[in-house]
Order: sequence, then structure tokens, then C-alpha cells
Amino acid sequence: MKVQEAPNPLAEGLHDYRVADPAVMVIFGATGDLSGRKLLPALYNLAKQRSLPAGFAVVGAAMNELTDQAFRQLAGQKIHQYSRTQPIDDRVLAAFLDQLFYVKVDFSKLDDFRALAQRVRELDNTNHIPGNRIFYCATPPPTYQTIAVQLQAAGLNTGEGFHRVVVEKPFGYDLKSARELTQTLQKVFAEDSVFRIDHYLGKETVQNILAFRFANSIFEPVWNTNLIDSVQITVAEDIGIENRGAYYDHAGAMRDIIQNHGLQLVTLTAMEPPLAFEANAVRDEKVKVLRAIRPLIGEDIEQSTVRGQYVRGWVLGEQVPGYREEKNVAPDSQTETFAALRLFIDNWRWAGVPFYIRAGKRLPKRVTEIRIQFKRPPHLTFGRDAMKEVDPNAITLRIQPEEGISLKFGAKVPSAGLRIRSVTMDFQYQTSFLVEAPEAYERLLLDCMIGDPTLFTRADEVEAAWQLIDPIEESWRNSRPPLETYPAGTWGPPSAAKLLQADGREWHRP
Amino acid sequence: MSTTVRPGTETAWHGEDVTIREVLDALEAIRARFARSEAGDDEHVHPRNCVMTLISVTPSEADELSAEQTTLLIGREHPAQAIVIREEAPVRGHKLDARIGTEVQRPQMGCPTECEIITIHVGGQAADHLAELLDPLLVSGVPTYLWWLGTPPFGKKELLDALRICDGLVVDSARFEEPHRSFHGLSRLLKVAHHRLGLADMQWSRLRPWRETIAQFFTPADRRKFLSGIAEVGVDYAGEGRGNRIAAALVTGWMAAALGWKLKRAAAGPGGVVVAHYEAGARSVEVAFRSVQKDHLAPGELSAIRIAGASQGTTFRLTVQHDPERRAAQAEPAYRTLHPTEGEDDAGFELAERRAEWHRDVLHENIESLHHTATGDPPGESRPKRPVVLSRDRRRPDSQRVLLTMIEIGEGAPLRHVQQLDREDEVALLLDLLSTGTHDEVFNRSLAEASALVDRF
Repeated sequence: MKVQEAPNPLAEGLHDYRVADPAVMVIFGATGDLSGRKLLPALYNLAKQRSLPAGFAVVGAAMNELTDQAFRQLAGQKIHQYSRTQPIDDRVLAAFLDQLFYVKVDFSKLDDFRALAQRVRELDNTNHIPGNRIFYCATPPPTYQTIAVQLQAAGLNTGEGFHRVVVEKPFGYDLKSARELTQTLQKVFAEDSVFRIDHYLGKETVQNILAFRFANSIFEPVWNTNLIDSVQITVAEDIGIENRGAYYDHAGAMRDIIQNHGLQLVTLTAMEPPLAFEANAVRDEKVKVLRAIRPLIGEDIEQSTVRGQYVRGWVLGEQVPGYREEKNVAPDSQTETFAALRLFIDNWRWAGVPFYIRAGKRLPKRVTEIRIQFKRPPHLTFGRDAMKEVDPNAITLRIQPEEGISLKFGAKVPSAGLRIRSVTMDFQYQTSFLVEAPEAYERLLLDCMIGDPTLFTRADEVEAAWQLIDPIEESWRNSRPPLETYPAGTWGPPSAAKLLQADGREWHRP
Repeated sequence: MSTTVRPGTETAWHGEDVTIREVLDALEAIRARFARSEAGDDEHVHPRNCVMTLISVTPSEADELSAEQTTLLIGREHPAQAIVIREEAPVRGHKLDARIGTEVQRPQMGCPTECEIITIHVGGQAADHLAELLDPLLVSGVPTYLWWLGTPPFGKKELLDALRICDGLVVDSARFEEPHRSFHGLSRLLKVAHHRLGLADMQWSRLRPWRETIAQFFTPADRRKFLSGIAEVGVDYAGEGRGNRIAAALVTGWMAAALGWKLKRAAAGPGGVVVAHYEAGARSVEVAFRSVQKDHLAPGELSAIRIAGASQGTTFRLTVQHDPERRAAQAEPAYRTLHPTEGEDDAGFELAERRAEWHRDVLHENIESLHHTATGDPPGESRPKRPVVLSRDRRRPDSQRVLLTMIEIGEGAPLRHVQQLDREDEVALLLDLLSTGTHDEVFNRSLAEASALVDRF
């Protein structure tokens, strides 16, 4: 039985005091894009916030031939370029870079992993580290299994201290590959040491969905099928696929966004209150939602899903090429850049409430939001005329870019007559709190160092999500429904609007 | 009331010998005008947001300017009802002089907001009844914070009266004119103020990086045992005398309260070192306070903390040092804000520059000795009555300040660690205090312990 450690009495009252134990973090793919843009700047900012303890060391591992010094120089450049906080503090940066090391690792060579193990052991001694290790796979998903196997072969997953591995989404390509990945990782690491990172969950506003629902007593009583008409989730991007053509053309909007971000937002919106904000309690409830979602099969898929691909159009005043004209995209690609679907959650709370989800690229604007639309009042006390300008009540949870929450309700227009109009009560994060929100990676990296997996995806969550998505992907491969096109800069193909029109509803324009 | 040299805001209204009712009417008119002008023809008026009422009580014109600037910077990002109060002798009528300054923010995303700062000069008996004066100006449903620049009138009815309408009082014990005496006053407030009142001290906030660094050392599971093995603590502080030992007492009080140490005695030792003896269960812990001369530190600032001991046969030593590599301080630009150019021509700049130079050379260089000659007080007992000069001088808006940590465990090689200190200007400290609330039980306990220790000095 794990003995609960007494809290450090000196840490009491230090708000936001979260500091990791000394550890070595090995970043595989340390010279790559994710490492340079996100991980190293996030670690620097953690150092700046005094969240990295004395002795914390980072070992970069990649194919390139680099010295420690050259890696430090590269890291310094990336931090200068991408750090959230500017200007860079030279003394903190210098101290942080001092604890950066580099080992060339060819993932196929066990000897390289042995050399890595040797370097890590040396750091244990010099930095008073009790064997704690974090292995971050900032590499393409196909390498995860190889890395895990080699870590085991080199004995890097055992010994004193903790041994954790972090992998980035996508967690597999389908249910089968996700299970294989899980099995491999679980052979090397205990499940509670596997941190599947979906950076969306590190966003303050995503976490605030739970705070909004469960820290207030006024919303939960109305958060069910009795009063809610429908839920709309929009994850829209104005950008195209940028340099990710090779990856995206195999993934598409369903795998890239809906299987992970989209379904995560569904679970957070729909889950039952967990017993505590604790890793397994939260994730248990999320999995229950995924399992309660009515699977789409056969004709349901044609009637409840839409897929589209953007063609040349105008976004934010600029003409942009069509998807098939993008680099590394097949000229006859059938990959969807827009996906929309209607889901039902078959449980007591949500019976009969449709969840509409859409995600796409080259839409008119970048916005992520969840809109909870309420039913109309049962009786028109003020008459139809007075109410004609009133929309149903709605709560909108805005995830990005203007993080906040708004509540729409009817109010009397000041005049001698009686007219009701919709007004909006707005809460904006930016102007309501006196602190700056940390970057998602900072939060998640620190969670991983501390060993808190609440905001990471558990294996059963991943599998439950793929179980829902696999049949849709299968049907789409057979062109059911057919791929439609939409001009870049519009809200998707015509069928997306029809999906809601068929139910007597329409998409909210974010 | 002067309406010139107000950085940032535009004077939207000012009145002399007015009532609060007139201030409220003016405020309402300003807000309505702004809402209408921003709404346009077809749009509805944007909702108004407010996260707190922040009242600043200022003892001098320089403080008033400083408070206006600070609240403006906070208000730019966080809509607040900002009120700046200055007590002055009534020169006309029996009412008050007031000014409303406004600044409009137009964020790229979101609605424009107007930040208003209400500055009120109040004199005579009205100044003794701040609660009644300010109550109508408070925003309902959001917390009210009272930021008292300088030394609050501890023990006086007027302070308790003002605290009636507040959820939190913010002071800076590093700016108290008589630090030793006023610190006791602050501590006594814990007992006499209403239970909702939160107490916050900017000096305590400045200690946060020290507290974090010390806590961090003991956080790993394998080092937790060292907490019960602490035998010696050394605290170095800049300046001389008991008045400069307040921060040192606070950090010691924090450790004592957290670790359950009981103060037994404190006595002066050789070389100006004061030693406090604590009982920690069956052990004793000795805390030595040493005054050091550090040009780059202001009187009272911590210079270093050393914690040493042994547990289960392993010795440990933690040393945290303030800015050991810091260069000599640059000439303080804050003096220049006391000497506005009143014009942007070369002659104006030249004149202001010369006044600032004179101010620094004549007043600052000799201010401590001039003060002690004038008052006869021993070093550290009281501070010169130009706190704004001192406080700005001591708190440079400098992001390059660090703590250097040295860790020695057993026979292992020392481990060096550098950590950045937070910004220590008033805006940053206030933001931090207000964002986390002023109810801090750890501070209250530490303050009580520190006060008991200061008693023995």
C-alpha cells in the first residue's frame, strides 16, 4: 500500500506553489519543432517561476550530432524566439541552460540508449537526484513503441525513484493501433506512469468548464435534458494545414481534432460530478460519458455526419489555396478538413439532447466554444410579438481566443410598450482576473513532474474514443456520406447546415 | 486641487468644495457618456465589468501620484473602481475636493473599457470618517481593498473605522516610519479588526521567493527528514538596528510557526549579532541575525539565509543569497518623477535633470545621517519622512534580481541553483496580493510569531 506522505509544512500558504522533485527529463526529438517551440520555452518559464527544483536536469536526445554546448545554444535561440514571457532573463536562462545536456540517440540502436542511461546516472550523482526520470517523446507517434522498448532494454525504466513517459496525441491511428501502443507502453511503464498529453486539457479555460459546472450551485440543476435543448461544440481554425500535409492527409479533421479535443470537450460538458478533482475520479466520469455515447453505425453515419474539404477561397481578406493544392497533399485526396457530427448520450441526464460537434480548417475565424442552448419558456407570458426578438437562453463557454463565459437572456427594452430583447452577460478571463494564465504545456509538464495525471488521457479513454470514431472512419472510406467541398473562409459544406436544419435548429455563429 | 501632471489619465471632471453626491453624479454622467459613445447607433450598450474596489490612502502628493499610477496600471487590465484619498488640511469650505480621471482601453479583442480614478482630498473631521465618506462609492458584490501607503494610524479609531467597509488592508511594513513600533501595531490589528478583514503586507510578499526556495529544499521526500534536524539558522539583513530586522523576523516567524518552534529567548551576541533561541521538541534551534553592509540592498532587506543541521547521520546546509553578483545600483530614475519637466523642451528637461541630481546628491546620500542627527533616534529605529524617495530607491523595477542557492548534503559536491526574484514594484506586489486575496493564515501566524520575536529585540 502506498503511504500518503505528510505535506511539507513550509509549503503551506504558498499559493500556486507547485514544484517537482529533482528529476532528469529526457526529451526524445529534442532538436525538433515541438521541443523548440513548446517544451524548452515551457521549461524555461517553469524555471523562471521557480517551479524547477535545484538539480533538475534536461537531457536532449535526438539523431543529430551535437555537443552539450551546441544543444544549449540551440535551446537558447528557441527560448528567445518562442518564450511566452519576454524579455528573456539572462541569468535564469543561463542557469537553466547549464542543466541542459545532449546525447545523440538513434532510436534503433540499443547502445545509444545505454550511453543515455550512463549519462542519466552521472546526473543523478552530481545533482542529488534520487533516480527520478521523465521520458518525453517529442517524436512522431510511430517511434513511441520503439523508444519504449529500447528504454526497457537499457534498464532505464527501473530502479529507484519514479519513471514516467509522456506521449503526444494522436494515440494511435485507430482502435487497433491504439491498443497496440497501450500494450507496449504498459509492458514498460505502469499505467499511472504513462502521461498521454492532449495540450487542450492544459488550457485554463478547458479546466474552467469543470469549475463552472461543479463550483457553482446554480448551473448544475439546469444542466440536463429537462432544460437543455442542445449542445454545440465548435473547434474552428482559420489556418490551413501549414507544413503538416504529410501527417494531415493521413489523419483528417476527425482523427486530428474530433477524436481527441472534440470528444474531450463533450466529456467535460456532459460528465457527472466526480467525487473530487482527482485523477481517477475525473477520468472515470469522462470514460462513462464516452461509453454512454450512442455509437453511430450503418445509416446513422450518413445521416449524422458531414465531411468536407476546403477549396480555394478567401480567409481574413487573403486568398488561400485549396486543400489539394497544399504541399504534401495528394492531388486526389479524399481527406476531410471539416467534420461535423450529431451525437446522443444515452443516459438519464442527457437523453434526447443532441450534441453537435464541428471542427475544421480554413473556416472564417479561429474559435473554440461550447454553446449550451436552453429550451424556450413553456408559455409566452408576454405574447408572441413581444418575444419575437428573443433567442432561447444560452450559455457559451469560450475556450479560445477570447476566453470567457457568456449568458444570454431576455430583458425588457426600455420603452412605454413591452418588448423583450436578448442581452448578453459577459465574463472575460482577460479582464476579470489579476493573473496571467500559464501556457498549457507549462501546466502539463509540471503536472507530469509532480505526478498528477488528472489532465492526461487514460488508456481506456483513448480506446473508448476510438471505438466511436472507427466505424465512422470506416464508413467514410466507402464514401458514405460523400466528401463535399466548401470554399475556404466559410463555415463548412452545405450539409453541415442541413444537419441542424433537419432538427429545426441552426449553428450558432461564433 | 491640482489637475496637472497626472500621468495616464485625462481629467474628466473636477470639483472643489463638493459632496460625495456630486462626485457620484459626475461619475454616473461620465459612464453614461462613455457607454453611449461606444454603443453606436445600432448596438446595445456594452456591459460594465468590475472586479474590485481599490481604495488608496496616501499621505503625500508624491504618494498620491504613485497610487494613481499604480491603480491606473492595474485598472487597465482589470476593471476596478479606483479611489485615491489624501488627507489634507481644509483650505476652503468644509467639504472635499475631488477629481475624476479617465482612460479608455480598446483591446484588440473585446469591448472597450473605461478606467476611472476618483481622487479625493479630504480634510478636517471628514477624514476621520472614511467609511461613511467612501461607502456610497463602493461597488456592490465585489471585494473592497484598502491600500494604505506609508504608516497607517495603528491603534486609532479612524483606522478601525475605515476598515469597517473593507475586506482587506494592504500595507508595506518596509515603509513604516517607525518600523519597530508600527510592526507591533500591525500585529495587534489581527486581534482587533473584524473577522472578515484580510491583512496583507508587501514586505511579506517580497519574502515569497525566499520562502519558496527554502520550502523547495525540503520538498523531496528523501529530504523531509531534515526539517526535524534543523539546528542553526542564520539571517543576514542590510542596515542596522531593530527597525531593520523586521523582514528577518518575519521569515523566522514563518519558520517557527510552520515547524512548531517555541521562542525561548533572544539576546545580543558579539559583533552585533542577535541570537534567538527556539525550542523544537527536544532540540534547540539557534537563529542568528546579522547586520551586513550591502550597497545594493535597501535597509531591512534580507541578504542571506543559512539553514544547517543533520538528520539520521546526514548533514545538510542550505544557503540562499540575495543577488551576490549584482552590480552597483544605477542612478535612481525615480527622483525624476518628483521633478516633472512641466514642458518637453530641452530647458525643461535640463532643469528637471539638475533638480533630480541635487535631490539624489544632497538628500539621498546623506538622508540617513541627516535624519538620525535630527531625531536622535538610534539606527533603524525610525525612517526619514520622505518614504517615497526611499521606497522607490529600494524597489527598483528590475527583473534581473536573483536568489542564489547552494545545497550541500553529506559528502556530495555543492549544488548551485539560480532563481529569479519576482518584480517588487508596487504594481506587481499589489497584483499578486489582490489576485490571491488578503486572507492568509500563514501570514497571520508568521506575523504573530515575528511580533513576539521583535518584542525580544
